[in-house]
This record gives sequence, C-alpha cells and structure tokens, in this order.
Amino acid sequence: MRAVYTFSLMTLHMLFRRRTLWGILLVILIALAGIASVPSFDVSNQGRFVLDFGLFGIELGSLLLALGLAANLYPRDKETRTLMPLVAVPLSRWQYLLGRFFGAAIVQAAALLVTCLGLMLILLFHKLPVPGDLLPATLLIIVEGWFLLSTVFFFSFFASPPLNWPLTTMLFIVSQMSVSEFTGLLPSAPGLMRVLRMILPHADVFHIKDPIAHGFSIEPVYFLIAVFYGLCYSAFMLSLALAVFRGRDLK
Amino acid sequence: MADMHPIQVTELSKQFPRKRKLGSIHAVSDISFNVKQGEIVGFIGHNGAGKTTTIKCILGLLKPSEGSISLWGNAPADSRVRKRLGYIPENPDYDNSFTPMEYLNMFASMRGLSGTWNDWKKLLSRVGLARWETTGIKQFSKGMKQRMSLAIALQSNPDLLVLDEPTGGLDPIARKEFREIILEENTRGASVFLSSHILSDVETICHRAVILSGGRLVAENSMEKLLGEENLYRITVISRKDGTEVEEIIPEADLQSRIDSLRRDNIRIIRVEAAIKSLEEVFLAATGGGEPQ
Repeated sequence: MRAVYTFSLMTLHMLFRRRTLWGILLVILIALAGIASVPSFDVSNQGRFVLDFGLFGIELGSLLLALGLAANLYPRDKETRTLMPLVAVPLSRWQYLLGRFFGAAIVQAAALLVTCLGLMLILLFHKLPVPGDLLPATLLIIVEGWFLLSTVFFFSFFASPPLNWPLTTMLFIVSQMSVSEFTGLLPSAPGLMRVLRMILPHADVFHIKDPIAHGFSIEPVYFLIAVFYGLCYSAFMLSLALAVFRGRDLK
Repeated sequence: MADMHPIQVTELSKQFPRKRKLGSIHAVSDISFNVKQGEIVGFIGHNGAGKTTTIKCILGLLKPSEGSISLWGNAPADSRVRKRLGYIPENPDYDNSFTPMEYLNMFASMRGLSGTWNDWKKLLSRVGLARWETTGIKQFSKGMKQRMSLAIALQSNPDLLVLDEPTGGLDPIARKEFREIILEENTRGASVFLSSHILSDVETICHRAVILSGGRLVAENSMEKLLGEENLYRITVISRKDGTEVEEIIPEADLQSRIDSLRRDNIRIIRVEAAIKSLEEVFLAATGGGEPQ
C-alpha cells in the first residue's frame, strides 16, 4: 500500500499545482457569493432558503469537481506518455488507479469542506441559525462525490473527456430519480425499468438537505448506512474501472 | 536454465485491430530470442519494424496475441520481477509540475527504496543533471528528459535495463556519456536490452544483436558473427582495361596466393587493408535495404 500512498500524494500535489482545481473552486466561490446575496432580498424563511441553495451548490460542486479533477487524468497520462514509466515499472495497474483515485478524492473532499465552511460563515454573517447536521450533510455529499469520482474514472478508461462529462452527468441525473420517475422514461417496459433502477445507483440517499432545511435531525444509523452504501458503490465502480483498465493495451 | 534468462521471448506475435477496417495489423510475428545474464543485446530494425511493440510486450504494457514472455522465468506482471527492472521509454515525458528531485523521491518511495537526498543528488549528477535537481521539468529539453529517464531507470540498481531508443534526443557527447553508463551498469552485473536506430551505438557496446524487419526476426547473433567471423581483406588494384581502381574482398587464408597471382599478372596493387564489415551493412543486407516491409 506504500506505493498507493505515495502515488496518491503525487496526484494530490499535481492537482494542487494544476489550474483546473482553482478554476472549479472559483466557480464554487462565485456560487457561494450568489448565495451570500440572498439574505439581502426580502425572502421568507431566508435561513432555509440559503441552506437549501448552499447544499445544492455543494452537491453540484461535487459533480463538477469529480469531472474536472478526474475526467482528464488517465487520458492525459496516456497522451503525454507519463503513464508508461509509471505502469511499466514501479506501479501495478490497480496501484495506479487507486493512487489517482485517492489523490483526487482527498482534493475533492477538501474543496467541498471548504465550501461547507464558506456556507457556515455566510449563515453566521447574516445571523442565521447554523444547523448541527450541516456537516453530516456535507459528508454525505462528499461520499456521493467519491461515487461520482469512481464513475468518472470508470468512463475515462474508454471514453474521451468530452464524452465522459455527459455520460457521468446522465448517470448523476438518473441516480437522483425515484422509481416512478425512472419508469416514466419508458412506460412500455415498467418491469425492466424497475430492475434497472434497482441496479443503478441511488444517489438520493445522500440528499438530506430538505430535512435539514426544515429543522429535522438525521438519525446516525441512516447516516452510517448511506455512507456504507456510497463506499460500496464506489468500490464497485472502481472494480469495473480496473477490469477495463487491465484489459487495455497501453500502446 | 533457459527459463531463467532475464528475458525469454518465445514465438511472440502481436496483432492490432485495424481502425474502421476488417482484419488486423501484424505488428510482430512469431519472434523468439533471449537476453542472457550479463549480456548487452541490441534490438534494431527500421521504423515500424515492431521494436517498441516487442518491448511493451516484455514490460506487460501490451498483451501478446500469441506466444509467451518471461523475465527470469516469471510473468512480466510479477511484482518481484518489476523490482529488478529499469526502463527508459521512447520519447519519455514526465509531469511538468515536478522537479527531478521530487520525481526521484516519489519513485524511490513507490519502489520501497531507502535512498537519501544525497544519493539522488549523486545519481542526477551521474546522468548530467547536477545543476537541474530542483528545476521544474517544464523547462527540460528532450535530451534532459532522457537523462531524467536514465536516472529513474538506474535508481534501483536494476538487474535488467530495457531501453527503448534512449539516445534519440542526445548530442554526441551525451551519447558517449550514456554509452559509458550502460557499460558501467553492465560491469556491475546488469543485463541490457537496447533498442536503437543508432547502429554505431549498438555496434560499440552490444555483445549481441537481434534484427527485426516487418515484424519478423531476420537475424540474431553475436556481434562478432554478425560482423564476420573470419578476417577479410580488401585489395585495391588498378584495372588494366580502363585504369580505374577496383576493389576485391577476400578471406585471410587466400590473401597471399591472391597477391602472388596479381603480381604474376603484372596487375598494380594500390592497397591491401583489413575489410571491416559495419553493422549498417549487416542491417541493410538482413532487412533488404532497411525499407519498411
């Protein structure tokens, strides 16, 4: 695991030194600045509104970060031939994949936590209540972000970055749909759609912004099960990614 | 044991599917050769002959379509084997956001090596990057990246060096330094598999050469045998017909009798010299002119 740890650190350094991360963070900060301006309008339940908007921004940020950080990692390594000396000698393919994943996952989590902190400061600045479950809600979004990240890695082994973006976004949208919404996409085959919906990820389990905005607290058991589900699905997507990567010739 | 050679390639074939067409491209067809312990083996062939494909199969980056490859009797993907390997890829590139020292530190950690800053400093100095240890790779030329590759390849004191066109971007002085390092590594005990277009490099440092043409092995032998086992001599005489110089190459055993016969016929001998065959001549003869097939 030492090789994976070192390669994760190497990925971490590389991502911090690239402009992509800062570009995405800039977008999130602009979004936060937009949220910060909400309390200046005369909106009823301003606190709920800001919280709802803020958590939605963090969730969207997790998708943007996953795509921005990972969609180009493997294709770029391959194109610039930086992959060859790595995979030929010190690293196995699974070590390469895990190293890149963990590096990107740490950067993504850090960026989302910073955004959460920004949201907290906005709430405090406007003397609005900061719910105790804001951090667990952000943690669940981080787990969702890791699932999205593993999905981006999976697609990146056979799809170019411009194709990876719509594929991951589509899966992100589908994963938010309820069974009835999903079945409605193809009403002529409800059975098939129900089975498909069961197999496809349920990212809706990570969204607790509505209960939090309405002042409900989250059961620790629910939180733990949702985290476990997210980690299992991420591991499953990474296994699929590794199966594709192992089968590929590195020309 | 034959199986314990650092590299054993047996009946290797590699095909790639054609894009948007039926059928496949045969990059390498049914080649077999080995690299023995302590040998420096040159791997030569024209562009597209299948050299890089073979090397990538040896390193496990490509899966052979047929045949097998073993490194010290193990599969190329075996982690024990990879620890004993140093590799310089063709046209190497590295992430621009790092410095050579950072790269060496990270590679050392990934390989489980326990070197210090001073060790890597000495290594960079050995490959000619002493003053560039903390300069971003972004500023490196192609030749400097190749030196960097050499440093990474040598970092673990490998038992086998696989070098794919390592001197392509180097100037003559750097090439000489590079050859010296390869010979030093060989003296240390490392086996070397060197793919190169620069035939003079192969001729100078290799014990044996494997020649590839159109994905097929067309010649393989020790350098002495490839360049001619017996001593040959070139006799230059003046033609009695038109007065031009005519050359004749004959084996050492026939030299005296041929000179006597020329003298008897009153043919003027201009020069008698050792005729040394170059690897280039051997290569051109073996590959039918060296044109891609």
